This record gives sequence, structure tokens and C-alpha cells, in this order.
Amino acid sequence: MAIAFTLNGKSQTLNDVSPDMPLLWVLRDVLNMTGTKFGCGMALCGACTVHINGVATRSCVTPISSVGGKTVMTIEGLSDDGSHPVQKAWIAEDVPQCGYCQSGQIMSAVALLTKKPHPTDTDIDEAMSGNICRCGTYQRIRKAIHRAAGDIKA
Amino acid sequence: MSSTLTRRSFLQSAAVTGGALLLGFRLSAAGAPARHSVAPPESFAPNAWLEISPDGAVKIWCSHSEMGQGVQTSLPMLLAEELCCDWRRVQVIQADYDPKYGIQITGGSGSVRTSYDNLRKAGAAAREVLLSAAAAQWNVPRSECRAENSSVFHDASNRKAPFEQFLNAASALTPPADPPLKNPQDYTLLGRPMRRTDARKKITGTATFGIDTHLPGMLIASMERCPAYGGTPRTFNSDELKTLPGVRGVYEIPAVHLTHQFGETSGPGSRNYSCSGVAVVADSTWAALQARKQLKVQWNEPQVVRESSEELRRRMIALVAQPAALIRNDGDFQQAHAGAAKTIEAAYEVPFLAHATMEPANCTAHFRNGECEVWAPTQIPEAAAASVAQALSIPITRVKVHVTYIGGGFGRRLIQDYAVEAALISRAANAPVKVIWTREDDIRHDFYRPAAYHSLKAGLDSRGQLISWMHRASSPSIENFYTGTNISPGAAAAVDSQDFPAFAVPNLRLEFAVAETGLPLGYWRSVDDSGNQFVRCSFFDEAAHAAGRDPVEFLLAALGPARQIDLGGNNGVIDVGRRRAVVELAAEKSNWKSPLPPGRGRGLGFMFGWGSYVAQIAEVTCDAQRDTPRVDRVVCAIDCGSCVNPLGVAAQMESAINFGLAQTLKSEITIANGRVNQSNFHDYEVLRMNEAPPVIAVHIVRNTGRPGGVGEPGVPPIAPAVANAIFAATGKRFRRLPIRQLCLVSPHSSVAAVQSSASANRRADLLAFPHISMYQTLLYNTPRLKAP
Repeated sequence: MAIAFTLNGKSQTLNDVSPDMPLLWVLRDVLNMTGTKFGCGMALCGACTVHINGVATRSCVTPISSVGGKTVMTIEGLSDDGSHPVQKAWIAEDVPQCGYCQSGQIMSAVALLTKKPHPTDTDIDEAMSGNICRCGTYQRIRKAIHRAAGDIKA
Repeated sequence: MSSTLTRRSFLQSAAVTGGALLLGFRLSAAGAPARHSVAPPESFAPNAWLEISPDGAVKIWCSHSEMGQGVQTSLPMLLAEELCCDWRRVQVIQADYDPKYGIQITGGSGSVRTSYDNLRKAGAAAREVLLSAAAAQWNVPRSECRAENSSVFHDASNRKAPFEQFLNAASALTPPADPPLKNPQDYTLLGRPMRRTDARKKITGTATFGIDTHLPGMLIASMERCPAYGGTPRTFNSDELKTLPGVRGVYEIPAVHLTHQFGETSGPGSRNYSCSGVAVVADSTWAALQARKQLKVQWNEPQVVRESSEELRRRMIALVAQPAALIRNDGDFQQAHAGAAKTIEAAYEVPFLAHATMEPANCTAHFRNGECEVWAPTQIPEAAAASVAQALSIPITRVKVHVTYIGGGFGRRLIQDYAVEAALISRAANAPVKVIWTREDDIRHDFYRPAAYHSLKAGLDSRGQLISWMHRASSPSIENFYTGTNISPGAAAAVDSQDFPAFAVPNLRLEFAVAETGLPLGYWRSVDDSGNQFVRCSFFDEAAHAAGRDPVEFLLAALGPARQIDLGGNNGVIDVGRRRAVVELAAEKSNWKSPLPPGRGRGLGFMFGWGSYVAQIAEVTCDAQRDTPRVDRVVCAIDCGSCVNPLGVAAQMESAINFGLAQTLKSEITIANGRVNQSNFHDYEVLRMNEAPPVIAVHIVRNTGRPGGVGEPGVPPIAPAVANAIFAATGKRFRRLPIRQLCLVSPHSSVAAVQSSASANRRADLLAFPHISMYQTLLYNTPRLKAP
């Protein structure tokens, strides 16, 4: 079946894709966009987080058939060069370690800041606890979110 | 290399012998031709790690694997410091497997330690020939030239020219084998907080992990392995699966022997094999996963199916109830203990653990014409190459291993099972193949941190001094698993018998009994100390409370005065002063003496190992209604000798604390019928944002001497620090990990911390990162390990 949606600001049409294939594998295997990561396949770890119509969504459990007509943004769409304020904050706080979860962390953080421009630590806990980081960069993620919000000086 | 060499003794000996073990350091010999063969002729490539282009770009190859610990920053810093190049022009490239680099193992917290001499000398030798080339061109004395920021200066004639101008002339010179190294006080990079070189790729989704490997014509494989380790497929519905959409083939994959990280060490009884199973190969990951769901396999199941973690626990309890193999015996435990004014005893236990790296195991391989090319997220490319060569029965010279970014290692990727799977499936499918593990595969087919059961006794004299200590442990043996069963009890225990509390208790007895298991075992970040130090530090805290003394003061008294204890031979030196200093610093920075409100407490944990000294003090809140402990703050003091990158060291301490908190509070693997019960992050739980301490404050002791490791030593202290803090807050002692529930009837009032800690005057260097501080403790600047 053919599915059309908007991906990172551009229209995207897929033909002959299995309708039950999750958006994650469409991105990674069909479109060769590997910034979005596979971590658990059950929406438990957040490594696959993208925005669908602006909402942070686990792409590993989102069938491509449900994406038709919607707007999808992935880490590749955030900026061409890492210049999004959240990405800059991540650099400033030297957040990544292995880095595997960070695409998902950043997409969750951007969604949080869109909804709540000045989140509290509790807001951050609520919005970010679905994103696992085994390297344990949580304290730096918190600081980077506050920095991106302009709540600490750059 | 001795077959009983443990990882720690290997790295200690590597550190002791400095560069001698590192076969790759042949600056003017093997390294140069290899690099010259690929570098553009006008570039300057004096050794395996460095190339300066005519445009001034400095390429530095990182020959250890980047798995988050920051080697793509710290290792290039070592070379760039001595080269005197402009750090902003450095481009870091991950090195493939190549014997020209020497040992490429990334493990044992050893990358900086084993590269410290080589890479500084590599940079210095390059700098020396650039200076010589400039002096010759300018016709000035060589001794009057200096290098700085990618330029050569001759101050007397006010001349300055960039490195680029001397590349051809420098290439014609032979780099010195033993170039002069900088005085540390002249460093411009080492010891300064440097941000990661790989961060930009990792925040834009452009870093290429193993799982991101893409080759033309590549197929994807998902493999079903026998749920019990060692089983083999008997029958499976191959014909049915081959008709499913996107499926290209279904293959039985045999188990094959894996080359150990130290090379071929296997003896009788070793069991380090990849899993056999059935691989479903398809056009896409989703097609492979969907088809695999239709797979029906009947297995030949091994003996391990009878095992359960409960049954293993009962056996370990029985084993510690009788005398076990003697590992260390100081003084006379029996006599001292019998004469003690007060005695305590307790049993501790820890479960099996999985690594659960965020990037599940995966590997891409292309076997063709008797050769195999492999793209592997591996901690040991040489073991990947050797294991693949053995699996395919081809010479290792016919295997090429590309090292990718690694989405978390923690010891899981020291074992190369996923690499041989990819190679075997590629051969079977006659195509390039990427094998991707699901999270369920990852949790159920790991090489697990062994469960352990510990029995301890301690005695105090009438003055409250610790005089007797008996520690008898039972656990499956990682060393037996890899090396075989004909090794000594000490080797099987794989503990360093000189670890704390040796030399802190006069009458000390350590015993160990191997608990046999059919499960696969592996190295988990900080290995045996991940569990053992929880036991040692917690029971030490019990002894302090039994003595009615403050735990910090009690520990300092047991350590005794600052002094060097020479262990003889190549065993190094125990530096008691450095041990004391980190404990005192953590106590000072945590306001250890200040009282806390009811329901809150502080606890101490510490670790002296991998050439580093770490003390951590956790502050927890225990609320009867909430029922789970909340870690409010962790203060961490570390002395890692010469600190290459304070920002990286702080990151590793934060990482280790959060990683250690997962095993403290949440993670546990259990076994039934030889099968792992857990499968994904809903039942193998790890730490999440809402459980991460709001504050982790890292204080780095500024020191000289050889650098210590930092990847692992921060892990062991946090579990006892939290357990001891819970005791301080509630009076309840937790002796089994994980501590999921407090089960408090009512919160106990806080035990007021009363002791003083003697703190030396220290000067704070305020960095750009105010939660990290560095302290000058020149009093304690003697390295633990002897110089070469």
C-alpha cells in the first residue's frame, strides 16, 4: 500500500511497504535514516522517539499505516548542523557518552520544552523517565534542558 | 602469558611494565610504512596514529573503542599535547583492527593507562622531527626552536611558521624512538576540561554505530537461540518460513568456540561458545522479525535446563557453611576471633546481572572468496578477528574488522559471539548480512555477572578496634568459564587477595568455593568488585556500628597512617595516604559531620583499584509510605593520578554511580529451568531519570604520576554507600541486592553523624563546570604502581 506523510518538512510517499511495519524500521531500513535508534521494540526505552504531529512518540510501536497524512520529525530534521537550542545545550553540558540513546533523549526534551518552556525538575522527571540512558547521563540531561530553557546562563 | 592471568593482574602488569607490553610502539619501524602506504605523499604520517595534511589538519586514529567512556577525546589529547598542535584542527578517526596499533583491548579501565606512554611519545617524536626540519630550513640551532599551537617558533629571529611548511622535510627524517616529553607544568591540554570530540555526531544522529552499518545488497538476520545455554536445534519449520514475505533464507547456525580477550586461554572445562540456533535472513529487519515469530524449533536441551537461581542459591549457602579454598590468610583468624570482645556475623548476596547495553548486540559481516570483512561494535577487535577466523576456518589475516561506535559496552562486547554469528550467517546466505539482536535476545543470551553468596565474621577488641575478619564467598567462576576448571582457587575466585580489607585487619581469612553452573558468565563493569565491594564496605560499616564508632573514623583508623606498603615483586605498592585522602575529601565535601533530619542518612562506600582511589558518600531519604529509598545526593572523591581530562573523569564517575544505582535498586536476573526469566526493560529494570540523584558532585584529587583507570572504579562504592545510608536513616540493614523495597513500619530517626574528619588544606580550582572540582594533594602524590 502507498502511504504519504510529511517527514522533516518534506512530503514522503512510500509504495509497497508492509502496513504493519513500524515507523522505526521504515526510517532505518527503507529510508536509510539511522539517527533514530532501536532499543527495545516495546516502547520501554525511548531510543526510537520521534515527533508525530509534534508529540513525542515511540516509533518502534507505531505502524507506518497510522502515520499517513501526519507530520513526522526525526533527529535529522531538528537542524542540519546541530544548531537547535537543545542540541547546543547538549554540547555545552557535554551530555553524550555512548550516545546511542541521545537522539531519543533530545526529541523527548524538545517536545517537553515546546509544551513547557520552563520545566521544573519534576516536569523533567515526568517527561524524560521513559528514555533510558545506561551510561547515566541523567544529571547532565537535566542541566541541558534547563540551559536550553534559558533558566541557567549559557 | 599465563593461562591464569586475570584481567586485573594483566592490566596491573601492563601498567607496571609501561610500554613494554604494547607491541605496536615501533615509531620509526612498522608504523611508518603502514601509514605512508595510504597517506597522500605530501602528508606527514610518522606513525600509526598520526597524519598531518598539507592544509594543516591533524588526523589522529583512536585505536581503542569508543563506547561512551571518552577515549576519542582522552587518547587524542595525549598525542596532541606532545605534538603541540592546535586542538581545534584535530580530527579523530576510529582505528580498524590492525596489529600495528598493538593491543586494542578496551576493558579493565585500561585504555588511557596503556596508551599513556605510547601516544605521548608518538606526539613528541612527530614534534621533534618537525622542529628539526624547521631548524634546518631556517638554518638556526635546533635547540632554539619550539612548537606551539601547530606552529614552529624561533623567538630569537622572531620567526614563526605553521607545521604545514615542514611536512615534506619532516617526513624525510627518522622520528626518535625515545623523544623528550613535556614537563607537566607546561601542559596546555592534559588536565584541562575538554569537551568530547564525538558529541556533535551524537546529538545530530550522524554517529555510525554497529547497528547503523549499511552495505549494498545487505540482508538482515534475526536469530532464535536455544533458551537454555548450550542447546542445539533438532528440527525447525524451514520450508514454511521460506515462503514468508521478504525471507531470503533460514539457516541452522552452529555454536563455535570464542577466542578470549587474552588470546587462547581455554583449558579443560572451558565453555565459552556462541549460541547455536536458527537464523532467519530477510530483506528488512521487520521482515526478519515477523518471520521469526512463525519459527518453530525443537531443541536438544542441555543439562542446564535443570538449573534455577533458587537452587544455585541453596547450593551456595551450603558451600559457605563449610570450609572452602583458602585465598588469603593473615595472622590467626580463629584465635583472634575467639578472643574478641565483640563479634558480628552476617550473610550477603547479589544476583545475576545482564549488561543491557542500549545498542543491542549486532554485527555486519561479508564473507566472500575465503575472506571476511566485519563491521563490529566490539571492545576487542583482535578477538573478533580471531573468533571469526576460527569459526570460518580461515587465517586471521583473511579477516578485516572495522570498529564502529559502540552503544554501550560495560564488558558485554568483550565477548564476540555476535561477530561469529554474522560471519557464519553471511557465509550461509552468500551475502553481506547484518545480524540484529532484539532486546529479548540481549537479556536472555548475555554472559552474566555471576550471582554470589557471602558469609562474613568480624571481631572487635575491647577498644573497638577491628581485629578479626573472615570472608567466605561462593559464586560461579567467570575464570572457570573461560579458562577451564584446572586453575587455582585464587584464580577461580578472580579476586585480588590484596584488596581491602587486607592490610587493614591483622587477622584476616578469605575463602572461596566455586558454585558450578551451566550458565554463561561474563565481565560486567567492575567485574567481581561490583558485588564484592558491596559486601566488604557494608560489613565494614556493620563493624563500625558494632564498635559504636563513626564509619569514616573507623575506616581511617583501620587504614592506619599514611604510608607505602610494598607488595613485592610486580605487585606494586599500596598507598595508604591516597586511600585516606579520598575518604577524607568525600567526608569533608558531604558535610559528613552535619546532622540530617529523621528519615535521612548518609553512607560511605569506597574502592581502591584499577590504579585509582574512589570514595562516595550517598545521602538518602527513606520514607515509609514511599517504600523505596530515594538517593538525594552523591559526593564522589577520586584520585586517578594524573587526570587527563577532568570533564571526562567526572562524566565517568557520574556514569558509574548511575550504573551502580541500577544494580543497587532495581536490576536482577533470575533463572528457572535453565532459562532467564527476564526479557526486556519492563522486567529487567534499570535506572531512569526520576530515580537518578538530583546531585552528583565529583571532586578530583589533583595528582601526578601515572594515570589510573576511571571507567570501573566508580561503580562498586555506590551500592554500599546507599545501603549504609539506609541503615543510618532507618536502622535497617540490607544485605541483598537489589534493594527494591524498604518495608519500613515506621521511619526510624536518623543516626546523627558525629565524627570529625581531618581535612588537609586544599585549593579549589574552579572550572567551567562548577560541580567538578580539583584539589591539590601533593602530600599524597606517590603513584601506587611502581615505575617501569
